[in-house]
Amino acid sequence: MPGNDLAALPAQDRAARLTALRGLLAERFPVCELKPSGILPTGLAAFDEAEGGLRRGAVTELVGPVSGGALFVEAMMAVLQRERCFGALVDAAGSFDPQGADAAALARLLWVRCPDPLKAVKVADLLLRDGNLPLILLDFQPVPLREVRRIPASTWHRFQRLIEPTGTAFVILTSQPLVEGAKVRVVLPQRWSLAAMCERRHALLGRLSAQVFARRQFQTAPEGERQTA
Amino acid sequence: MFAVVLLPTFRLQAALRFRAELHARAVAITDGDKGAAVEVSPAASASGVRAGMPGVQALARCPELILLPRALAAERTTQAALIELGGSLSPEVEATADGCVTVDLRGAKITDWPQWCEAVVTHLAGLDLRGKVGVAPNPDLAFLAARRAEPFLVVQAPAIFLAQLAVAEIEPPPHLHALLRDWGIHTLGQLTSLPRGELADRLGPDADRLWQRASGQTTRLLRLVRPVEEFAEAFDFEQEIETVEPLLFLLRRFLDQLTLRLAAAHRVAARLLLTLPLDDDTTHERVFTIPAPTDDAEILFRILHSHLESLQLAAHPTGVRLLIESARPDHQQLRLFESALRDPNRFGETLARLAAIVGAENVGVAEVADTHRPDAFRLVEPRFHQPREAASPAPSRAIGLPLRRYRPPIAAQVRVVRQEPVEVSSAPATGRVTDTLGPYRASGGWWERERWGVEEWDVEIAGHGLYRLRREDQIWVVEGCYDAELC
Repeated sequence: MPGNDLAALPAQDRAARLTALRGLLAERFPVCELKPSGILPTGLAAFDEAEGGLRRGAVTELVGPVSGGALFVEAMMAVLQRERCFGALVDAAGSFDPQGADAAALARLLWVRCPDPLKAVKVADLLLRDGNLPLILLDFQPVPLREVRRIPASTWHRFQRLIEPTGTAFVILTSQPLVEGAKVRVVLPQRWSLAAMCERRHALLGRLSAQVFARRQFQTAPEGERQTA
Repeated sequence: MFAVVLLPTFRLQAALRFRAELHARAVAITDGDKGAAVEVSPAASASGVRAGMPGVQALARCPELILLPRALAAERTTQAALIELGGSLSPEVEATADGCVTVDLRGAKITDWPQWCEAVVTHLAGLDLRGKVGVAPNPDLAFLAARRAEPFLVVQAPAIFLAQLAVAEIEPPPHLHALLRDWGIHTLGQLTSLPRGELADRLGPDADRLWQRASGQTTRLLRLVRPVEEFAEAFDFEQEIETVEPLLFLLRRFLDQLTLRLAAAHRVAARLLLTLPLDDDTTHERVFTIPAPTDDAEILFRILHSHLESLQLAAHPTGVRLLIESARPDHQQLRLFESALRDPNRFGETLARLAAIVGAENVGVAEVADTHRPDAFRLVEPRFHQPREAASPAPSRAIGLPLRRYRPPIAAQVRVVRQEPVEVSSAPATGRVTDTLGPYRASGGWWERERWGVEEWDVEIAGHGLYRLRREDQIWVVEGCYDAELC
């Protein structure tokens, strides 16, 4: 069709037409607009080798015993320092222990202590809508499972929709797989003996093993595998 | 030239500044002690109410008359706004009287005086004030011009302006005024047509001074004041209020006007101090630090709105005061490597909302106390918007797994053999202790009343995981959990 062959047009007209076309597409299909994306390296070898780091604009679920979650929070505080940015820890059980953490890293972490999981969801919702913080951790690990299961499944999908247009990396820490809308699920299955209490923490972080599943993988995985994951 | 900015019926204007619904009504401001009307609105005046009339008499003349007491707080803030306006026009300002300032503009290069006057009147209108401006070669003449201004008057030819004024306008001594009236001298033009020397010989030095004033030749030094940069507004309700809407309405009006004043002074709001006097004679006070100082009324209002919508008070507010602490606009250059907040004020607003959900004591950045006492920390307001030293992350020197604390700690029964825990019974874990590390002893506060001493053990409980036990005053508790399937 005459006029449709962009290559035949002068460069200036071509650019103008392309800009107009992009505008039209963005207007008609707002969901398909370019979204800020990227990866936030975690510094955890097992995780970064599989995924490169935390996906921005996506929900990541971290599953495992409480020790894995606490070490992960520690690793994320180091990320905040390294990236010179700020983050938030929404602590659904109020169990975070700042003693022993680096003061400079603590100064970059907004800590919100919540009396119950439903309030933690509200807090996370507000922080995601705020859009100022590039890293938000929602920690349900120490909360009894029956309480976390009371959170409607639609919440997780809402979280995913909220952060899609942002550059926020959002991690939900749970003791069992629960978050349906998660794009990535990381399982930290490792258990520790008392000997770990005599090792340096950065050495423990180096030994932390992680199994990483992208959404397609854990959706199609057999039930048994999903349980172990 | 000198300019006088005058707010006619100053007390009435101050009292009705945030009550637009009363502007067209018959209103009289009464003196608190005697109950007499001190200033009346045009509608009240049309009904025959006059200043100085006792309240009862005024009501007899105009039954729908609204009697309001003087709003002293509003008068103070209105006068401060007027002086501040004067300060923005000239460095030499005289607070001549309540609702009247005189500014010395002799050094100013103003060519279009009507336009200048109009800008001043418009600025006052933005502050909900009806002002008059008089400009003349000397302060007294400028005051006379302001009184006759509608709404501004520039006196270029003093002799012509004065000639038509009544003698009473320059407030002559009563005996002289009576005498001049007997002589048939009613206007200043008639007075100045009399020979000055002979008038002084016959009537004395008072008459000489009066002649000088009538001729517009007097000059005087201004008693200068320095405008205090206090951006404040206040309002007292007639009755205590029960809902938040009137407060929000007033605060929005306050902010609209205060931000206008801030912009005129080239300042921005750094802190907001909100005070609500309550009907139980207490006050509710709250200070809001603005993360990125601004003169945007919308942003400032959102911060106040977030606070008020979740505010629970034990008594009803009877008034509202808002003070803005100003700062110079920040011209900070964004740093290359530091990721600043995209919208610090929005973040501040989010923090206020978070505090409303979980309590202000549960939101913040943790600061660990300088003590070995377990779980000693405090949460402080995050300062994410402020530039900080770029410290490169050092490898953590911490040892062992991070602790997940139980707050409060959970009571435990612990069986001790040879001074070591061997069996634990508690809500999170019950079982045989298979391995221990400890005891880790710490104490402090022996120089204070709050003396403390603790003994901590890291233990592995068979079938459960790793926990920290604490013994204090012979009482055992599970302080937290290092590793377990579930806490």
